Amino acid sequence: MSSEMSQTVANKVKNNDIISAENNITKKDFRKTFWRSFTLLNSFNYERMEGLGYLFSIMPELKKIYKDDKEKLKEAYHRHMEAFNMTIAPAPFVMGISIAMEEQAKADPDFDTSSINAVKVALMGPLSGIGDTFFWGIFRVIACSIGISFAKQGNILAPFIMLLLFNIPAFLTRWYGLMIGYTKGSQILADLQESGKMQLFTYCAGIVGVMAIGCMVASQINITSPLVFTIAGQKVVIQEYLDQIMPKLLPLCTTVAVYSAIKKRIKITTIIATIVVIGFVLGVLGVIGA
Amino acid sequence: MEISLIQAVLIAAVAALTNLDGNFFGEMKFREPIVTGFLVGLILGDVSKGLLIGAELQVIWMGATGIGPTAQLDIGVGGTIGTAVALLTGKGAEVAITFGLPMAVIMQFLNTLLMTSYSVLMHRVDKLIDELKERQIVFIHIACGMLTALIYAILTFIVIYFGNNAIDAAVKSLPQWASNGLNAVAVILPALGFALLLNILLETNLIPFFIAGFAITAFLNLNTIAVTCIGLAAAWVIYLIRTNSIPGAAEAAAHNEEDEL
Repeated sequence: MSSEMSQTVANKVKNNDIISAENNITKKDFRKTFWRSFTLLNSFNYERMEGLGYLFSIMPELKKIYKDDKEKLKEAYHRHMEAFNMTIAPAPFVMGISIAMEEQAKADPDFDTSSINAVKVALMGPLSGIGDTFFWGIFRVIACSIGISFAKQGNILAPFIMLLLFNIPAFLTRWYGLMIGYTKGSQILADLQESGKMQLFTYCAGIVGVMAIGCMVASQINITSPLVFTIAGQKVVIQEYLDQIMPKLLPLCTTVAVYSAIKKRIKITTIIATIVVIGFVLGVLGVIGA
Repeated sequence: MEISLIQAVLIAAVAALTNLDGNFFGEMKFREPIVTGFLVGLILGDVSKGLLIGAELQVIWMGATGIGPTAQLDIGVGGTIGTAVALLTGKGAEVAITFGLPMAVIMQFLNTLLMTSYSVLMHRVDKLIDELKERQIVFIHIACGMLTALIYAILTFIVIYFGNNAIDAAVKSLPQWASNGLNAVAVILPALGFALLLNILLETNLIPFFIAGFAITAFLNLNTIAVTCIGLAAAWVIYLIRTNSIPGAAEAAAHNEEDEL
């Protein structure tokens, strides 16, 4: 019996399938968590946010870790039903850490289980910041802008190129995030926080994102003025004067104006309504055109 | 252009897909206008025009980031309905925006209501945990997103199938001055998108790089890929300098400190 068991364990190790022999957690469980993590937002609500999604994602591992102790299992389920909110691509990294900590909690009865959620909460802000920078600020902007140039030529590859460019980094981040979070999560966190490298990394990523946006303000916004005055028999084309000051001056000024409005915490719906009203009037008067 | 029942159902399915993108599929980006423009174009038999309108909407909604509580606009349904209306009436992107934008606002409002109501279900889940009824917990998790998608599909179907004639009449009777006004709104709206993106990324100490990215494109006409490469190089250099990874940098820094002492 025991030789048979050790043989199956040996087989699994050979297949590189076992992740935690102690709790019989396999790569299959991690693959489940990987796919389940995509649904993190499926039951989003204002009270627990992604809480239920988080619980759903790591349920396979929790079930195995606490398979002999129903009360501990309930406690763990409740723990991961707490409010959680994060940009979703880096979330599996946190799940990896949670799974590792749950295993510690099971092995060590003195383990302070409140630290499991403390780590989750501590990571929500910084990881969402990095996630937003990379996925919304960089990958999406670059994928979409390349997609746009293909779409404008009527090329049917446009949506597929866009989807691939965005999803390849997103999938890789999820899978390796989960694995690395499990194996080295707590150590990485300690290192990053100590050295301040996290902020530096985010700042450097911000450079790429902000430059790409600057580029797109100049290339993708086409606000021009069709105004023409005739002064003393001389035709004065306003747009020519504007271009002499700086090309793309109107797109820049408009973007900066809207940005300041957002910074002043004016509601987005108010800003949209204002743009619609002002834009419409300026369009009717012939001040602004395409 | 008339729309058949099957076409309307398929467009409603696209709207449901864009919603599932933000829920079930974990932001795979099916909701982006390039994708919905392509799909709606395919359904209505004009792929290249669908893509063209999709591209214009994409620029406008470049900054419409975030889902859940941070979202301002539901660009998935907005783009789907907008593109469909533009193709059905034979008009351009300004018509797509005129109909897409209000739909994007209304649907986001509806989504907010649904997300508020799902809070109630979470207390049900708390009880189910105590009874260890895992299957029901999973069911609630999956059902929330599916219900939202179903509601999206039904509403989109109603607007497209039953509203088609009214929309068509409204668009056809649009006078030239109103068309000019809508056009101006359409050219200004992209600024909102990029301002929203800046709101995520821009800090005071990043302003120089925004200026650089803008100036490089405005004066030299370089595209996004070129500017991204330059940005990547700049970021890399700064990272190397700050982590003292340039050969001799650590020694030089130490040397400077000695001088100061």
